[in-house]
This record gives sequence, structure tokens and C-alpha cells, in this order.
Amino acid sequence: MRPLDRRALGRALSRIANASVAESLAGMQGTSPNAYRIGMTGPPGAGKSTLIGRFARRRLDGGAQVAVVAIDPSSPLTHGAILGDRIRMDHIADNLRLFIRSLASRGANDGLADNIADVLATLDSYPFDEVILETVGVGQAEHAVRSLVDTLVLVLIPESGDQIQAMKAGMLEMADVYVINKADLPGADKIAREIRAVLKLKQRVGASWAPPVIMTGAADANGIAALDEAVSRHQAYLRNSTNTEEVQRRRLEYHLKSLMIRSVAEILARETNSTAESLHAAYARVVESLRKGIGR
Amino acid sequence: MSNLKGKRIMIAKPGLDGHDIGAKIIALALRDAGAEVIYTGLRKTPGFIARVAVDEDVDAVGLSLLSGSHKELVAETMRELKALDAGDIPVFVGGTIPVEDRATLIEAGVVGIFTAEMRLDDVVAELARRLSPEQAA
Repeated sequence: MRPLDRRALGRALSRIANASVAESLAGMQGTSPNAYRIGMTGPPGAGKSTLIGRFARRRLDGGAQVAVVAIDPSSPLTHGAILGDRIRMDHIADNLRLFIRSLASRGANDGLADNIADVLATLDSYPFDEVILETVGVGQAEHAVRSLVDTLVLVLIPESGDQIQAMKAGMLEMADVYVINKADLPGADKIAREIRAVLKLKQRVGASWAPPVIMTGAADANGIAALDEAVSRHQAYLRNSTNTEEVQRRRLEYHLKSLMIRSVAEILARETNSTAESLHAAYARVVESLRKGIGR
Repeated sequence: MSNLKGKRIMIAKPGLDGHDIGAKIIALALRDAGAEVIYTGLRKTPGFIARVAVDEDVDAVGLSLLSGSHKELVAETMRELKALDAGDIPVFVGGTIPVEDRATLIEAGVVGIFTAEMRLDDVVAELARRLSPEQAA
């Protein structure tokens, strides 16, 4: 396997993450999907980072070269962020086949980070077998991460009970694998039962993948092994059945959408920062150009 | 005041002292100034710290040291950074640093030494000055 030039990769990712829309477009180089992407999402405090640390260890032990991209929220007030996910992965951080990158969500409000599509595309030009994307998500966020990954794992905990109610509609049709983490806490069996019941209702006739519900806990090695096995099984399932065009379409659509949202943010920042004219004048001008239609 | 907006700053504790309240206070102050702070936890080796700094491509590395081994650990971290072609990443230091050791650290290339008697605002302002090329020019 080609050894990683970590300094070059680290710098490339910073460039991409800080790029304006114009810079992103200039740097776009049709990389083809390379690494198998696994998304891990779930509410804050579900234990995602710790779980990813243990999961990634198994993938590394299997010989894979693995990148983890961990996204933490930015403060909308100060733009600052504490990126602390990798601290839960210390026990594997000495493995040179592992690369961890922490990202702040910045302007993105879909649980991902501003330039995440470009970041993932950049990783595709490096020799990774698998990329694990960690993001906080409840509800809407899963749609976004869904379009960017091959296998989506939703991590819940026994206390997530109330959230399940809210998520039944959107979220439980999104993931490929469900994890009840901290399964030694009371209520774990109940929530697993509820999820299985909802999944059964939602299972489409003729669908060939039935999402498994896996129980994991800090003191339980079997759970992690089961998760590892379930993800591999889904990977094999995709290899045989995926409509790659559909996957590509979803990713391109997400990329386009995020480029547009970033463009709007850039225009907004530029217009509202202009000191040459009053805010009212800027407002009127932007409204006028919206009337004329954008994107034509 | 968000004068560290967009800066990625690592706060690390090399060596064996087990107190990280100072490191955490600095991490929060930097975050509140707009920085994206990567905190790596207690008892890390200089080699580990350098490797994380490279993977995360941080704009600066802050080392918090209360153990008295600051001269050795700072020098070793800077050596490790250079070995990874990352000698250009600025290193700053905080903690219990006796006055008589400061010249040695500055000579070794440390861009700032921040100790407990300094106001957080001043620490942030000084770092912003060091890290923003437009202000350094």
C-alpha cells in the first residue's frame, strides 16, 4: 500500500475546507469514488466517537487503511468550536494506517461541515480503503449524510426513547444499520424492540436488505464484533446490488446544493458588509436581482 | 471579539502532570474568540502531539506544562514537528514557566509564553497578533 503523505494530505484538507465557492470550482478534479464510506450519526452523547474508535480498530486489524472525519458543531455566535472527538480514539491513534481529521461545522446547518463534499472527494484521491464520517444528527441531518455515504449507521442510546417518537417518520427509514449503544443501561431492550417494530412496518415488499438492530456497550466485545460484521455484510450487499448511478446522482445533487448554499452565504456576507451603501439600499438591490432570477 | 475566527489551534499536554484545568480554560477562551480548538487530553508524548498537529494541519500548537520538564518537552515537540516537515507550525507554551527559563524557550523558537497571572483577553489578543499575517506585516 502506498504510504500516506500526511503533511500533504493535512494541508490539502485545510485548503479545501477554507475554499470559497470559486476556489472549490477551480480545484474540482473529477475524482471517482474510491473509499467505501461509512456514516455514523446520532444524538449528542450517544457515544459515537468511542464507538467509532472501537469499530475502526477492528477495520484496521482487518488490514484496511482508514480515515475518520469527525464533525463537531461551531458556535453560531463566535464561530468557535471545540473539536474533541479524536480524544475518544486515542487508543488507536498510534496506528499509521489511521488518519483522523476533525472539522467544525462552520456555516452548515445539516449536521455536516461547509465543504464536506470536497473534503471527502479529496480523501478519495488518497489511498484509503474506508472513510468513516462522524456527525451529530437527529432528524434532518440524516438526509444530508445519507447522500454522502455508502453505509449509514444510526447510533442511539436507551435514553433516546423520546427522540424515537419524533424520528419515526424521517429517520428510521434512512439508516442501514441501527446501534443501541450503552446497552447495559435500563430501557435498552425496550428501545430495540420499538425500533425493530417500526422497521418491520417500513420494510418495503421485496426489499432485500433488512436493517439489523445491534446492541453495543463499553464492556461488551461481542456488540462491536456484530457491528463490524453487519457493516461488512451491508458492504457486500451494496457491491452486488447497488445502482451506482443512483448513488452518484445523490452525491452530485448534494454537492450542487451545498455549492449553491455556500454561494448564497458568500453573497449575503458581501452585501451586508458593504459600507458604501446603506443596508436598505443593499437589501433593495439584492431583492431586485432575486426578482430577475438567479442561477439562470 | 472573534479575532481568531477560522484558526485551528491545538491545545496539548505533554508529559506526566495530571492537571488540565488551565489547558481547558485556554481552550474555551480560544473557542470564544472564534478558534476551532483541538484538545488532545492528558499525558501525550511529543511524537503523538506532532503527528496530530500534522494530520489536523493546525495553525498553532499550544503546550500546557506544569511538570517542570518544560524545556525538555518543548524542545522535543519542536524536534518532532520538524521531523514531520512541520517545523513552520508555531508553538506557544503555558503553565508554570519560571522567569529564568523563558529566554531559553524563546530562543528555542516558542512564539509566546502565557502564564496564570496573565489576563485571558491578553493571551487571546497576543495569539491573534502572532497568527494573523496581515497584522504581523
